[in-house]
Amino acid sequence: MMTELYRRHEALVLGTLSLLTIGILWQAVVSAGLINPFFISTPGAVFKEMGVQFADGTLVENILASLHSFVLALALAAGVGIGLGVLAGWFPDAEAALEPFIWFKYSAPTIAFYPLFVAWLGYGTPTIVAIAFLFALTPIYANTLSGIKNVDRDLVRAAHSFGARPLDIFLRVALPGSVPIVVAGLRLGVGRALTGVVVAELFGASAGLGYSIAYHAQLLQTTKMMVSILVIILLGVVLTQMLSWLEKKTDSWRVP
Amino acid sequence: MAMATSKSTAMEGRAWNARFPLSRSTTISCLSVLLFFVVWQVAPELGLVNGRFTSQPTKVAAAALEVFASDDFFYHARISLTEFVLGFALALVVSVPLGALLGTSKHARYILDPPLMALYIAPTLVLLPIMVIWLGIGMASKVAVVFLGVIFPIIVNTMAGMREADPRLIRAARSFGASRLDIFTRILVPGSLPSILMGVRLAVGRGVLGVVVGELYVSQVGVGHQLMTYGSSMRIDRLLVYALVISVFGYTLTSLVRLLESRVRNWRTE
Amino acid sequence: MAQIEIRDLTIEYRKPNSDEPFVAVDRVSLDIAKGEFVTIVGSSGCGKSTLLLAAAGLVNSASGSITINGKEVSDPGPDRAMVFQEASLLPWRSVLGNVRFGLEMQRWKKDDPTERARRFIRMVGLGAFSDYHPHQLSGGMRQRVNIARALAVDPHVLLMDEPFGALDAQTREVMGDELLKIWERDRKTALFVTHDIDEAVFLGDRVVVMGRDPGHIREIIDIDLPRPRTAAMLDSDQFAAYRRRLREGLGEDMAAMHMITEAA
Repeated sequence: MMTELYRRHEALVLGTLSLLTIGILWQAVVSAGLINPFFISTPGAVFKEMGVQFADGTLVENILASLHSFVLALALAAGVGIGLGVLAGWFPDAEAALEPFIWFKYSAPTIAFYPLFVAWLGYGTPTIVAIAFLFALTPIYANTLSGIKNVDRDLVRAAHSFGARPLDIFLRVALPGSVPIVVAGLRLGVGRALTGVVVAELFGASAGLGYSIAYHAQLLQTTKMMVSILVIILLGVVLTQMLSWLEKKTDSWRVP
Repeated sequence: MAMATSKSTAMEGRAWNARFPLSRSTTISCLSVLLFFVVWQVAPELGLVNGRFTSQPTKVAAAALEVFASDDFFYHARISLTEFVLGFALALVVSVPLGALLGTSKHARYILDPPLMALYIAPTLVLLPIMVIWLGIGMASKVAVVFLGVIFPIIVNTMAGMREADPRLIRAARSFGASRLDIFTRILVPGSLPSILMGVRLAVGRGVLGVVVGELYVSQVGVGHQLMTYGSSMRIDRLLVYALVISVFGYTLTSLVRLLESRVRNWRTE
Repeated sequence: MAQIEIRDLTIEYRKPNSDEPFVAVDRVSLDIAKGEFVTIVGSSGCGKSTLLLAAAGLVNSASGSITINGKEVSDPGPDRAMVFQEASLLPWRSVLGNVRFGLEMQRWKKDDPTERARRFIRMVGLGAFSDYHPHQLSGGMRQRVNIARALAVDPHVLLMDEPFGALDAQTREVMGDELLKIWERDRKTALFVTHDIDEAVFLGDRVVVMGRDPGHIREIIDIDLPRPRTAAMLDSDQFAAYRRRLREGLGEDMAAMHMITEAA
């Protein structure tokens, strides 16, 4: 009975054990004096510090500041990415006009233009949002484009046979048909937007999780840095999981 | 291409091809880039934007000549390239065997999957400040950031490639008496090569990003350091030269890996 | 003594995440003489492929035994070679590489593997295609490669698991004809699984009819057609009689087959 139960939940059991082991090892190497806690802190200290930061409101404040930039950037990227993607997906000429820029954007590390954005927008939220926006834009645009372009031909033919006009086909076949792949693009965009926010915050901000890491790094306060790092990792996992869930829901619209 | 108009577009295309040597889409792409450069050149002259903030194509071209001729460009580029190559090579050495282990052992996968996925999803660049505390502000911390950025996509894709190995091929090999090692080296490795290369391709962008972020964050040399210098002194033209060089590097390397990938993937087109 | 002796063979599968076994083959006994060509027919899920995999040593039995030349089968061995359905060629290897593959796996030392592989490629009529990759070949050509790969290792027993199952009807007929021509040269003992009644009659000295739930042998029919077999025989009254008899033998399963989707 126990073995049956274990076999069914083996992944969960082993995964949890592995995370616990990492925590225990982390604590153990410091307690045993193998590594100076100055470098890696300890799980105990990090949790305590997390409690302190939560109580005095700085943790919530930083999370909210980062989320604020994140939401703005993602909304912008979704609007522009989906808009341009639909345009380019429906009009081949628009795709041709946009393509060189998208290719450039695809291969250029956006962050190389960071100093340029600082020159234009100054340090702070506008630059952070701009960087995160550019980070998130590409996958959203690319997925929307391919979603619209690869609309099921049989569906289009079927719609044609019922006398549908191009606008009908666009609104009732192409647009709904590409929702799952657009959502997949959004999921990729979420991860990249978060990266963009945090990285830009490392360089210049007055609040936010990235700022907190950079600030405490200058003071060599490892424990306080670890709090923000763990929260960011957690945030990345939670946000991506949410979009994965949405992706699964919308994917069932498609006939396999 | 819009489905509803594909027929008429095809006919227009033929008429178009008769008159112009380039395809319609290539022509539009070129015109679009040309237009961009013209606007960029003219707008500051007309006073529509402040040229101090945008520079101009001609100025960037002139700055490029200066940068390549002097400015210790090759010194900075060599440092950055070394960081990139070291971090990437280290990551390859670690990630391919690890991905292979995860792809072939269910238990290893169950154990390592949660921390691995968390780090794959999370922006590993947030570990940069910690790396600087551990390894100092020199090359080592950049190598570490490249390593961390590059390793997870390769692990995840190697793992996926191994797991997706066709069980029918494995069975056929076993029927001829193949050992476990035979199956690994002759079926799993060649079978997952396209997947591994895809991981490498995704990793290139992350690696370049790692070098640049690492050097922007704190450094005394390297292309990221030059970006920061010219950004803060408002030399937009030189800033753009460095940014373009980095972009071209990322683009070229990604394209090369993509080429290799599609070569390798060709065998398995069915 | 028969070359292949199957005695009370029972094979069970364990479904994933379950402790309940599923009986795929139930107490099957069968003797096959040296040089005999035996075909096995049955609807999907009757355990015919499982039986073949057990003979190849790729599936373990729950009870009973299979012996070949007096040796009990527990693992794959050089005395047997298997021809699979089409997707079993390595897509990254050329025709030559694929035929060499079996020889490499068996650490072939008797003669030069490359030369040997080339000889068998010529034998199946693909001499001009040895540098092609599987994706450049038609389904029928791929199956020739598959057959060459199996024959190249010079097995005592040839095991074939619906090798022409993925081909269209015409190619299938041509391939059956070709297979027999190649087989006539040295008449290796052959065990051939199919769900096609005509194919079973045309190829076999005996046809084993299997039934499902659980997989068992329903009857064994001797095919009294002279060898070499020719396409003209397909239209003979004798052939039609065998066809009718087999169709009756499979009757209930044929009806059920329409209801059940192909199970792996």
